[in-house]
Amino acid sequence: MAKVEMKKIEIIALLSDSKRLIERLQRRGVVEFCDIKDERLVKMNTASNLATFEKHLAAVLSAREILARYAPQKQPLLAGLSGRKEIDKHDFGKTVNDVDDYLKCCYDIIELDKKTAAATASIGKNEARLDALLPWRDLDVDLDFSGTRETACLIGSLESREESGEYIQSLTEADVSVVEISRFGNKVNFAVLCHKDDREELLLRLREAGFTPPPETGSYTPAERIAEYEKRIAAQRETVEKCTQSIKAYSGVEPQMDFAEDYFRLRSDKYEAIGKMGLTQNTFIIEGWIPADCAYKIQAEFEKKFVTAIRVYEPDEDEEAPVLMRNNAFAQPVEGITEMYALPTRSDVDPNPVMSFFYYLFFGMMLSDAGYGLLMTVATWIVLKKTTVEGTLRRSLVMFRNCGISTLFWGALFGSWFGDAPQVIARQFGKEIGSTALWFEPISDPIKLLLFSFLLGIIHLFVGLGVLFYKNWKQGRKADAFCDSIPIMLTVGGVAPAGAGIFINTVPANISKIGLIVSAVGVVLLILTAGRSGKNIFSKLFGGVYALYNTATGYLGDILSYSRLLALGLATGSIASVINLVCGMMENPIVKILLFIVVFPIGHIANMAINLLGAYVHTARLQFVEFFSKFYEGGGRAFAPLTVNTKHLKFKEEIINE
Amino acid sequence: MSNLGLAIAIIGAVLSAALAGVGSAKGVGLVGEAAAGLVSEDPSKFSKALILQLLPGTQGLYGLLVAVLLLSRIGVIGGSPAELTWQQGLMYFGAAMPMAFGGFFSAIAQARAAAAGVGIVAKKPDQNGKAIIMAAMVETYAILALLVSILIITGIKI
Repeated sequence: MAKVEMKKIEIIALLSDSKRLIERLQRRGVVEFCDIKDERLVKMNTASNLATFEKHLAAVLSAREILARYAPQKQPLLAGLSGRKEIDKHDFGKTVNDVDDYLKCCYDIIELDKKTAAATASIGKNEARLDALLPWRDLDVDLDFSGTRETACLIGSLESREESGEYIQSLTEADVSVVEISRFGNKVNFAVLCHKDDREELLLRLREAGFTPPPETGSYTPAERIAEYEKRIAAQRETVEKCTQSIKAYSGVEPQMDFAEDYFRLRSDKYEAIGKMGLTQNTFIIEGWIPADCAYKIQAEFEKKFVTAIRVYEPDEDEEAPVLMRNNAFAQPVEGITEMYALPTRSDVDPNPVMSFFYYLFFGMMLSDAGYGLLMTVATWIVLKKTTVEGTLRRSLVMFRNCGISTLFWGALFGSWFGDAPQVIARQFGKEIGSTALWFEPISDPIKLLLFSFLLGIIHLFVGLGVLFYKNWKQGRKADAFCDSIPIMLTVGGVAPAGAGIFINTVPANISKIGLIVSAVGVVLLILTAGRSGKNIFSKLFGGVYALYNTATGYLGDILSYSRLLALGLATGSIASVINLVCGMMENPIVKILLFIVVFPIGHIANMAINLLGAYVHTARLQFVEFFSKFYEGGGRAFAPLTVNTKHLKFKEEIINE
Repeated sequence: MSNLGLAIAIIGAVLSAALAGVGSAKGVGLVGEAAAGLVSEDPSKFSKALILQLLPGTQGLYGLLVAVLLLSRIGVIGGSPAELTWQQGLMYFGAAMPMAFGGFFSAIAQARAAAAGVGIVAKKPDQNGKAIIMAAMVETYAILALLVSILIITGIKI
């Protein structure tokens, strides 16, 4: 249980079988293709196919989004948690024939949406023009009317407070006749007539006064133009309405779109893999990684089904194999935490089995409220039972369920059930019940729990060193295994009793004394061995002293860091108690009941949420910074086989195991 | 001058809740601004951004915690305020200071780290765990401050 051993596999088969063979490999999902770089082999250029699939996929996604906007679908509360729908391989094959139709729907929807957007934009534009023309509605000549044989006509606007006729007449000496069309505040829209010979002079005067022509001009009256705009707007409104209806009519094809989405994902994955193959005239060659335990099964199966030559072999020494972790039900849920840090490299051991125990332990201690633990456990248990949630989300839920159980355990030990809710409630009925703690209440003796936290911390760190020992030992570096861990354990472990003596005076003097002697042995060993890679005696000695300094400061900091186990636990319990205090504060019984109904649930859920986040983050920190730094390198690459990487559908199991 | 000690102790509790609270408020606001920018581009990252925003909020809670613990020790919560000498008052005042200042400054520093982490969520959403861890590194010092405050408050005998 740990990192899965990886082998290389080489498959040579006939080109005529390529489609079926690769599809079968994809359904098995256990081979990660390597890019073949042999100049004698031809590579298939799949870039254009890939681009097409990506384009179709993008179209499906955007059509899906448009459809959701026009015809929103009510999602049941837990819809996000339900897993993929099962589908028969046979049904899949049948539906594949219709994919082009689905795709047409999608492009249709996108086209309709584009039309709607264009029409909407055009409505806005026409409305603006119409608004600008409205003040001119009463002008009953064409907008470009320039006069008769003897007269000239000027149409436009001016800013003026005065009566327009008098004002314009006052600007010029020529005789004019002014027709005011409309007036908005100071702005007058008018047409003015004068003799043809006076036109230039009048225009000059008017311009000096700030004359502006109407918003548009042409051989039509404003009223005709306005009617024209109204017609256009109505037509475009109809277009929008029609398109919207057409899009809405597509509601109900969402499942088909999901199918198309998955289909294009599958195909683009497949073509990406195909691009890595090497080809000859009549055969193709696949090279890839495969977990050792299923390599021979796959070999047997494929050799039976196809005309093919399959070779399973050990990877070269310098090849960095992709990492696949496989753990039991206890350790598997925390794989996500390790992945967040880094995957193990080739020389690393899988840290999950050891880490999981401490993860649950520390998480429970930091949240440490039995009520919250119970809530977490029950809530996650119900979701896991009632929905078909899968993948990493399921893994996280299982992790939180296990953490919830641990929280329940620690909460019961520390006697915290929604803080001191049992005591507070009992007090309302005039009863005093004491502590419900199975062990002790942290707030009554924080020093005790602080030392206990340090003890857990030391155990955690020593387990980390133990893993380092195991790792070195397994690689045959037995001297390193001893020198890198034993002296540190002696030094740190030996000092511990004396260190505890600083806080409490009940540590027996004998034990402290023995501890210090052990520690002194450790220090000597450390100085003698830690600098062993140095070239001469001085650099060896200096290396040893330096390592001693590092151990002293580093481990002191590491151990003190575990005080967060106490501090976060106290924070949860104390804030919960504050909430209870508020609930029971008022004398009036009715107010009190109201407070209990409102403040109690809201307060506790908020407290639980924020402390849950705190516990999650700080437990991870203890693993990453304190624990992993002792033995873990990290930096492996995740195993990414060609597989059925779908979002909505999954193939029924029996098909896969046919 | 009959209960000067009590007054000094209460000022300590006030500073713990107030300074840590102000720090958290500033911090949560700071990350919120960065997170809002991200969510305006991609609303689906709201939950991830929200977690980052919440991180600098814990200092305010710790400040509240220290204040309530202190107030219940000196009997202000519970209805029978204790008679404290000014020396005892100063002890309580001092006990609240680590949380007051540690909370204030660590909340703001943590907010900076978290706001920068919003960038990680924007560009590589699957790496958001690392953004959380980086911001949480800062919180260590708030936790240590909380611890010292609690140890002193529970350790003072009156």
